[in-house]
Amino acid sequence: MEQTFIRILLSTGVDNYVATHDWVWPVCEIIHFFGMFLLIGAVGLVDLRILGVAKGIPIKSLERFVPLGVIGLVLNLTTGLIFVGGNPVGGPQEYLHNLAFQIKMVLILIAGLNVIAFYVFGIARAADATPAEGDAPMSAKFVAGLSLLLWFSVILFGRYIMYNDTLLYVLGL
Amino acid sequence: MIEAIEQSAYAVWVRESPSFWAYTWILSLHAMGLAIVVGINSIVALRLLGYVPEIKINSLRKLVPWMYVGFTINAFSGLSLLAANASNDLHNWMFFVKLSMIALAMVNLELTKANVFNDPMVINNTGVPAGVKKFAIMSLLFWSLAICAGRLTEYPAFVQAWFGF
Repeated sequence: MEQTFIRILLSTGVDNYVATHDWVWPVCEIIHFFGMFLLIGAVGLVDLRILGVAKGIPIKSLERFVPLGVIGLVLNLTTGLIFVGGNPVGGPQEYLHNLAFQIKMVLILIAGLNVIAFYVFGIARAADATPAEGDAPMSAKFVAGLSLLLWFSVILFGRYIMYNDTLLYVLGL
Repeated sequence: MIEAIEQSAYAVWVRESPSFWAYTWILSLHAMGLAIVVGINSIVALRLLGYVPEIKINSLRKLVPWMYVGFTINAFSGLSLLAANASNDLHNWMFFVKLSMIALAMVNLELTKANVFNDPMVINNTGVPAGVKKFAIMSLLFWSLAICAGRLTEYPAFVQAWFGF
């Protein structure tokens, strides 16, 4: 499966393009940061409001910014694939076998499941019914707290990708 | 002076300690603080530009302290990273572009507080003062440029090749 993924990724020629255009990597990093603050700005603010910050804002209104967070996520998945495919040192394997990267991907997956749980179990509907100045239900607060924890951990382990040796050392591996 | 900072016990610890709480953690804090201050700022700016008008501008006031939370995290993590990399950063013109953009963004935030959030029409939810949008556009512009310059600070060779200095 890993080999298939790498073959498809490299069939796009992304590795060659990154290697021959010095602007691609720094520009993609800039875009990756933009995607990050869009995601944290849109989703993190809904989480904060559910947890009780700025109660004057109706939760349902704030959720209208969530599509912006989705755009941020798509930007980051795209630039992320460019980083993995275009990695000049060690190629895609270097990322896929990097513990910090693996933890980051698992955390993003759990954050996705958390969002699905938010909608499937009717928690979103209960949260949306919260009026301005109102308190969101406990279940929504749990999902929101978990969401914040997960996304900030995604940033942490994203940073650790380049310092994987430190992470391995800290974990005694 | 620069060398003394860089060789201080704290700077050496930040840069060289294999502890989880040293360099990578501080670098992560810097990204988290950025996400908080710029993330919240962007949503507030979009509301000031007219998106989701059902949200009262006055209700956004309580988000301002959270922007300072992000800014404070980044002031401290940034100073730590600067101590660790002082000679590189202080000889990098892009680093000063980044600092200037952050300064402009923070001045703009103060002006937004004075002219938007403290406006009686906003406080009483009776209207929106003129010129609100220019503060929103400035904040999006300054923070975007700060991020671009911050990233490019890490690529001096690339900057030299593209800008010529």
